[in-house]
Amino acid sequence: MIPPRALAEAQDLAARLPPLLVAAERVAASLAGGTHGRRRPGPGETFWQYRRAQPGDSAAAIDWRRSARGNGLYLRETEWSATQSFWLWSDTSGSMDWRSGPDLPEKRDRALLMSLALAALLLRLGERVAVLGTSEAPATGPGSLPRLAAELAARSGSTIPRPARPPRHGEVVLVSDFLMPPEQVSAQVSALAALGNGGHLLQVLDPAEETLPYAGRVRFIDTEDDSEVLARRAEDWRDDYARRLAQHRDALAAIAAAHGWSFATHRTDHPPQMALLALQVRLARPRSRR
Amino acid sequence: MLGFASPWILAALATLPALWLLLRLLPPAPRQVRFPALRLLHGLTPRRDSAAHIPWWLLALRLALLTLLILGAAGPSLHPAPSPHGQTPLLLVVDDSWAAARDWPQRRQAMTEVVTEAARRQRPLLLLTTARPPDGGAVAVQGPLSAGAMQSRLAALAPKPWPSDRVAARQAVAAMDHDRVTEVIWIADGLDSPDHAGSQLAGALQSLGGGVTVLDGQSGRSLSLLNDGGGEQPMVAVRSLPSATPQRLAIRGLDAAGQALAREEATIPAGADQAAITLRLPVELRNRLAWLDIEDEPSAAATLLLDESWKRRIVGLVDEDGSTTPLLAPFYYVERALAPFAELGRGDIPTLLDRRPDALILADRPLNESESDALARWVRDGGALIRFAGPRLAAAIPAGGQLDSAMPMRLRPGGRSLGGAMSWTTPQGLARSFPTDTPLSDLKAPDDVKVLSQVLAEPDPGLNDKVWAHLADGTPLITADRMGRGWVVLVHVTANTTWSNLPLSGLFPDLLRRLVALGAGGRAASGTLAAGEVLDGFGLRHPAGGIVQSLPAEPAQRRPSPETPPGLYGPEGSRQAFNLGPLLPPPAALELPAGIQRQPLESADSPRDLSGLAFAAALLLVLADLLLTARLRGAALAGLVLLAMVSGQARAADDFALKAALSTRLAFVHTGDGFVDGKARSGLTALSRVVGERSTARLDAPMAVDLERDPILFFPIVYWPLSLDQKPPSAAAIAKLNAYMRSGGMLVLDTGAQQGGADTTDFAPLIQGLAIPPLSSVTGDHVLTRAFYLLKQLPGRWDGAVWVVDNGGGDDRDGVSPVVVGANDWIGAWATDAQGRPSFPCVPGGERQRELAWRFGVNLVMYALTGNYKADQVHLPAILERLGQ
Repeated sequence: MIPPRALAEAQDLAARLPPLLVAAERVAASLAGGTHGRRRPGPGETFWQYRRAQPGDSAAAIDWRRSARGNGLYLRETEWSATQSFWLWSDTSGSMDWRSGPDLPEKRDRALLMSLALAALLLRLGERVAVLGTSEAPATGPGSLPRLAAELAARSGSTIPRPARPPRHGEVVLVSDFLMPPEQVSAQVSALAALGNGGHLLQVLDPAEETLPYAGRVRFIDTEDDSEVLARRAEDWRDDYARRLAQHRDALAAIAAAHGWSFATHRTDHPPQMALLALQVRLARPRSRR
Repeated sequence: MLGFASPWILAALATLPALWLLLRLLPPAPRQVRFPALRLLHGLTPRRDSAAHIPWWLLALRLALLTLLILGAAGPSLHPAPSPHGQTPLLLVVDDSWAAARDWPQRRQAMTEVVTEAARRQRPLLLLTTARPPDGGAVAVQGPLSAGAMQSRLAALAPKPWPSDRVAARQAVAAMDHDRVTEVIWIADGLDSPDHAGSQLAGALQSLGGGVTVLDGQSGRSLSLLNDGGGEQPMVAVRSLPSATPQRLAIRGLDAAGQALAREEATIPAGADQAAITLRLPVELRNRLAWLDIEDEPSAAATLLLDESWKRRIVGLVDEDGSTTPLLAPFYYVERALAPFAELGRGDIPTLLDRRPDALILADRPLNESESDALARWVRDGGALIRFAGPRLAAAIPAGGQLDSAMPMRLRPGGRSLGGAMSWTTPQGLARSFPTDTPLSDLKAPDDVKVLSQVLAEPDPGLNDKVWAHLADGTPLITADRMGRGWVVLVHVTANTTWSNLPLSGLFPDLLRRLVALGAGGRAASGTLAAGEVLDGFGLRHPAGGIVQSLPAEPAQRRPSPETPPGLYGPEGSRQAFNLGPLLPPPAALELPAGIQRQPLESADSPRDLSGLAFAAALLLVLADLLLTARLRGAALAGLVLLAMVSGQARAADDFALKAALSTRLAFVHTGDGFVDGKARSGLTALSRVVGERSTARLDAPMAVDLERDPILFFPIVYWPLSLDQKPPSAAAIAKLNAYMRSGGMLVLDTGAQQGGADTTDFAPLIQGLAIPPLSSVTGDHVLTRAFYLLKQLPGRWDGAVWVVDNGGGDDRDGVSPVVVGANDWIGAWATDAQGRPSFPCVPGGERQRELAWRFGVNLVMYALTGNYKADQVHLPAILERLGQ
């Protein structure tokens, strides 16, 4: 279970971000009411136009106040507003359960915090949010945040999930360290993108994973499968490691770009607001210009 | 001069080359690091291999380390003592009398050295202490003992507040087995009794055959009073062994709380064995004296307890009608003259005699038969009866002139008057000087005293000896006579200004003080005296216990012993001091027979054990090794942490004090209950912020104090949220809290009791021993309700009564309560989460009640910081009312 403190922290973080107007695309796919006006009459709350009543209109739909001012009967029409669905996923695998120093948060906590903050932000705007890989339909309203938080924290797969009912025409936000092979990421991303989903990849890394600050004789042990590598002089590996990490990131960025998705990185020693603001800017941009 | 206790251990040095080989073969172990991005590391190749060989300096370090360990284990020592006797038993004779207390630490050090040295040689040890043990047992040889048992007995050994019993010690030595040669080391106090028991003991020790070494320290000095109770200034004699150089010392007079009231430096000249010292201090301070001691000499003989006889005199004024008319009442001037120096009581004669006064004053009052008999009895027991004449007394003089039995001499009927309208005579002044050899002889006679009327003494052969003051024409003005152990004094004029202006002169108070000081013996308690407080060997006072018995009534039977140690005896209120110093014989140096080696306590070339040094050096090398290997592994952190652990303990305390003292902060008691501590920290943080917002007081972040470890005197308020999970604090912690409250701190006790349904009595073990005076509930006119905001209630999460110390401003804290007690859980009301939202609801008043709780918090801080500064607000209604009129 996620502790209430993390939830409060995420809400606090979301409260400090400027309101986000998500550039919604293809919202026609969703019939649920929302905030994105479709510039044509339909179910919604904002006034759109008055039009003359035509045979077949229900008498209950007539706006009597307007009708009394003129000849003939008028109907009040509202703008058809729709909503955008978001699918969030935050990696909770063993490699995320790690930090290099006691002053830093674990990567998993940071990823969870950012996902939750994003979810709180979106829910506040009336968007519909779900956790990728669950069978729950996207939910709306700030009240569903605790349920989302529990689902986000409970997920324990080490790879991007393959949901039985994959989202369509939604926005997918994947937060992970993406240290798995790029081919694996590529397969998942293309499967999701094929269904018309836009998306964002956010790579959360510990500073030690970027700089490899170790020196001397060091035995590195993997956090997931306990395999080992012995470095006789770890400081000699620093440059090679940095090169490999850059290659890995390039590969991830290429995957994202190929499907019109975005890719960004975040270090746990940086404040989460920076990455979240950047993500927000990208969410507000139409998909074609990402 | 280096020797080894166990030289065979040095053979282990031969293993060093093997270690050298072993160390060369083993590379340092790698550091284990968990790392998620391991996939990226796979297949990376190092450019060059790490040092598989251990560097030469590390090898040298480790070899040195091992060498030191082996050397340390072999027990090296500098100046090893020669051991001609091998395994012969060693008898350690220790004088643990009062005279050894002066330099007891050095003596203990010497004993420890002797025992350590004997333990190294595994000699059997015997112990003989020459003063009787406090459990009343006999002086006896203990042992043979192991070195450990010996050390623990020596650790428990303390000087006794009575002299040593060398006769019994000699008998104990004589009873020993003389077949075995036993070496003797005698740590002597350097004094001998008049019957030379010390020299005889030395002879008995010599007969054991192993040689006797006497270690001499400094002998104690003793104090005794030269003037007994009621004298003007305490005059003490310091007695000491004659020394070749002058001895400088200081005598202190202390009050019951141990505060020095007077200090007088003195010198005992070279070769002299005593000096007399007078402590000069005002009478008011003299009344507070509780004991005298020699500065920096903790010993029972150097501590002189003073009892009730040093306190203010009790003087009775016989005054049945209780007239207090200013200027005319008989005792108007007497009262003013004596009030600063004496305890005055008024009443009729039987009532006053019940109070056992030192002196009684009668003004113009003839006595009937029974009264004069009672008074005469009392005077014979040591009282001082001071009578003033007057018209009624003059009228009562019978033909024979013998008025009653409580009169110094016969009087002539009628008296005389001088300088009246119908008289040719002029008023008489005082004679130029007072007769010699009387208590009044050193007083100065003022010129302006005029006597208009007086009663006259019947001329008598013995009269001249009884006169203490004359008029200018030679007629007696003050006559006195000794009766038993007391005095009867007659002043031939009135105590008011009817007959003379003597009561108006500056002479009058001096005169009365001298007369009142005559009475001393009136209050001697009779019978045996139960023990109250007794002194230990260092002159510290303890409640009597154990085998301590009552003090015999007869002073000649009083001896300092385990049954009757020096101390205060008698019932509370009239304690009698039983001091060691006056009972000691004049100090005599210990003379030793020939053939006894005598040396001072501290000798320069005593054996010094070096193994501790070797082990300490080895430990340092271990630390260096840790640091270096940690560096080899890429980080110096582990070694640094270890170093910090060793050296950081003391610094942590300093840091705490520094942090607490540099800015004003609130503090709360660390209860060990995580929930309560978190609540307290959050509540006090929020309160500090609110106080800063609403007033000019700036409070830094609150600190948690551990009662057992941290000093608390820096904080204006210590908030103690009582928690059932807390362990009761130790006695030291309670003493710390008491000292904190005494020195002006404020302790807030919050039971929060309504919360868990806990009963207030559940907290009793926590605050057991806390010196909390009687409490009363806070009413509307207490300063706490006015210190910043005007408040009617002082609610927290709950709204209940608050209790403070009710003292009406009568003590040295200016009426500021050192403790605030309540069950309102204020920290619960103040506590907020990180976003400033309240953590707990307030019952029953909701948010309004929380605001009131804030206001109470601000008032509480203001009350702690400014004390009774706002107390006049309490009187504001009265002031306004007065202004309105």
